[in-house]
Amino acid sequence: MKTITFTVNGQKYTREVEEHKTLLRFLREDISLTGTKEGCGAGECGACTVLLNSKPVNACLVLAVEIDGKEVITIEGIAQDGKLSPLQEAFERHHAIQCGFCTPGMIISAHSLLQRNPNPKREDIQEAIEGNFCRCTGYLQIIEAIEDAAEQLKPKKSKKR
Amino acid sequence: MKNVDMKMHVKGQSVFIDDIKAPIGLLNAALFTSPVAKGRIKNIDISAAQKSEGVAMVITHKDIPGKNQIGHMIADQPLLAFDEIEYIGQPIAIVVADTRKNAKKACQLIKVDIEKLEPVFEPREAYQKGLIHAQKRVLVNGNIEEAFKKSKYIASGRIDSGGQEHFYFETQRALAIPKEADTIKVCASCQSPGAFQHHIAEVLDIPMHKVELEIRRLGGGFGGKESTAVWVVAAALAAKLLNRPVKLVISRNEDIATTGKRHPYSYDYKIGLDENGKILAFEVFLYQQAGGCADISPAVLGRSFLHTSGSYCIPNVKITAVSCKTNIPPNNAFRGFGVPQGTFIIESALFHASEIMGKNIIELKKINLLKDGDFLPYGMQLKKTNAVRCWETLDEKVNIKKRIEAVEEFNKNNQTKKRGISVIPVCFGISFAQSTLNQASALVNIYIDGSVSVSTGAVEMGQGVNTKILSVAANTLGIQKEKVRVDTTNTSRIPNASPTSASTGADLNGMATKFACEELLTRLKKLIAKKTNFFDLDKIRIKDGIVYLCGAKLDYTWEELILDAYNERTDLSCHSFYATPAIYYDRVKERGRPFAYYSYGTSLTEVEVDILRGVYEIVSIDVVHDVGKSLSPEIDKGQIEGAVIQSIGWTTIEQLRYAPDGKMLSSANSYKIPDIKFVPKNFNVMLLENSENPYAVCNSKAIGEPPFIHGLGAYFAILDVLRKIRKDKPLPSLPLTPEKVFMYIYE
Repeated sequence: MKTITFTVNGQKYTREVEEHKTLLRFLREDISLTGTKEGCGAGECGACTVLLNSKPVNACLVLAVEIDGKEVITIEGIAQDGKLSPLQEAFERHHAIQCGFCTPGMIISAHSLLQRNPNPKREDIQEAIEGNFCRCTGYLQIIEAIEDAAEQLKPKKSKKR
Repeated sequence: MKNVDMKMHVKGQSVFIDDIKAPIGLLNAALFTSPVAKGRIKNIDISAAQKSEGVAMVITHKDIPGKNQIGHMIADQPLLAFDEIEYIGQPIAIVVADTRKNAKKACQLIKVDIEKLEPVFEPREAYQKGLIHAQKRVLVNGNIEEAFKKSKYIASGRIDSGGQEHFYFETQRALAIPKEADTIKVCASCQSPGAFQHHIAEVLDIPMHKVELEIRRLGGGFGGKESTAVWVVAAALAAKLLNRPVKLVISRNEDIATTGKRHPYSYDYKIGLDENGKILAFEVFLYQQAGGCADISPAVLGRSFLHTSGSYCIPNVKITAVSCKTNIPPNNAFRGFGVPQGTFIIESALFHASEIMGKNIIELKKINLLKDGDFLPYGMQLKKTNAVRCWETLDEKVNIKKRIEAVEEFNKNNQTKKRGISVIPVCFGISFAQSTLNQASALVNIYIDGSVSVSTGAVEMGQGVNTKILSVAANTLGIQKEKVRVDTTNTSRIPNASPTSASTGADLNGMATKFACEELLTRLKKLIAKKTNFFDLDKIRIKDGIVYLCGAKLDYTWEELILDAYNERTDLSCHSFYATPAIYYDRVKERGRPFAYYSYGTSLTEVEVDILRGVYEIVSIDVVHDVGKSLSPEIDKGQIEGAVIQSIGWTTIEQLRYAPDGKMLSSANSYKIPDIKFVPKNFNVMLLENSENPYAVCNSKAIGEPPFIHGLGAYFAILDVLRKIRKDKPLPSLPLTPEKVFMYIYE
């Protein structure tokens, strides 16, 4: 067991954790944040994507002890004060979701893209989402949602949402 | 209307099985499965596993209180093997422990002594040895010998199509909670509430009324959670024996290694055309790779069997089909349920015939399309046929002739990159081919605050069925959608529900919901009539939650009406039932009307192949699909796009690999499903306009499976390129992976 201190979605925690426990299991079992899903447990599908110090990572490939002193954002931390982010709204508007199991990871990856690059081209979107599989949709509605969110976030509208 | 769950999905708040708050005393289960493909169990030694850390119990066949049987169609599938072993991954024991990790650790300590026997992996070999599930099926229509004699062009050969892993994101899982008086509640990720409840009751030896099976939603299903009940029943059994809640969640690689897949098929075909290219005769033999137990394979085969004429009118046919028993995990339902394979063989045969005739395949298809009045091989006459309409709509949109010319032009100007094109027509029968299953019920409750709850037997797995049902309920009652909630699928509220499959979820359950709402509406109108002294019920309407008489708005809201109805002691709860009318099928004569109606579509797929390397890109897909009068265009479009991409996965890159001993080699790291880069730059989906369908709820048409057929276009467009390079070998098998494309060109 090792004691670690970290923040998740802005909240500070100190916890004891087994050295071999993955971040994915730690978030789900110890912090009770079940929005992050296990799709493959092998770093292939992206369903467990979270932000670690603003970088998207597969939580199934990161050990919980590695987040010591760091900041984690999960899907539960994307909506602010219960209000959906423009990206979440766009996913809903464009019907970019079917079963919903890949959605949290998909939104985290897209969120990270828009933070890095507020003006993504279609190729940038493909690059950013490449590690997030979806078995239900044909990805088109996901691309449309991300493009729309980028449009919404453009400074000219500068609405603080 | 969009999927009602989306607000929760985007926040990560939707609850799937593994997200349910752990009940007190929860234990975790893992399965110990056979490492051998064919054999006989001599001894199972669980002593070391029993003593392992955290282990509560190791369950073998000896501990099962009821029947050790979960066969879906035939009683050939024990829950826990006790004698014969039929595939690697067959469950032998259930280990229950405090944590999943300890349960898995203990699995490694189980020693099983299996006498190895000779396995069979090839379907044709299995058939030769007499190893088949159920009976061989033969359908003859017309006079095949005469028709071949009259045929000017005849093509024949052998071809194969491969399997496909479902890769639903939520793997197989269940949570079972024992309750008082021997009852049990099971929350499961499954598509068949009625059938799985029945299996649980039989294995646990309790009556069905003591089993409550509840399903909120599935993280994808695609058919893979329809028939194989292993994981759900195993959790229930463990909970019952230990009198503790038990959860069973299998890992991705366990799921890939031990669950059923889309059936690979091998085919022998012979097709005859007249001098104009009209199909006169078609003879086909289907060998289905079924796996170690029958599971649902004979039903899948039946659907392939009924769809081997595709979208074409073929007057003389002989179709023979066998479900071959091979030593791999039992294959099961997967979106399309045999229709993709049935369609693949007629499309392949016709492609081959076009080469022999020297006529363009696309023209050949068009002249053979089904029309009103044509008969299908099993004697059903077609009405309201939209095959030609879909084709012509697509043609208007993309100009097929120009597209062919553009491809020819491209190929003239490019040496190492070649383009190919394919047009695929779709004709997909809707209804369960097993007539019994075409029934559904709904329970609609109106509460005194005016809120409405709808329960049906439909299972939500991302296809949006609950949203469609909600929309039917709100529209029928004349109230705002926010007032309606679709509750969980629960066997205590809806008994004997058919599986949510065959694309019929919205058709059947939507219609039952409509009937229940209509009955409630009549009760309410009678009350309004009494209160207003206006007795022409047809002129009483509720719209947006307000009562209208002869079109005039009353100062009377839905909420007030419901409260009055309650005070007047009106029954505000209604159960209703729907059974698809006028369908029947005679299995002896192989004649009947198995489907209520057909779904149609046409698509054009264009690919670009790098003929030096074998790699390719899907350049464009244009789809026209007939959804009738859509209950939700957004949902239907999403279903079409998803089905097309999933299908192109099957026809191109998804290839399953087995070791010589039958062990699955494919895993999460090596089995590739389409990612976002796979999506073509031009991907256009259009819903056929002005299509009506009197045979389903609110004139809509089923949508889940039919558009899967369009994905065949990728195979045939690549084939178009390959056959222009060389024709000195037989047609390559499906899928056409880049490796296979390369080897086809250069080997």
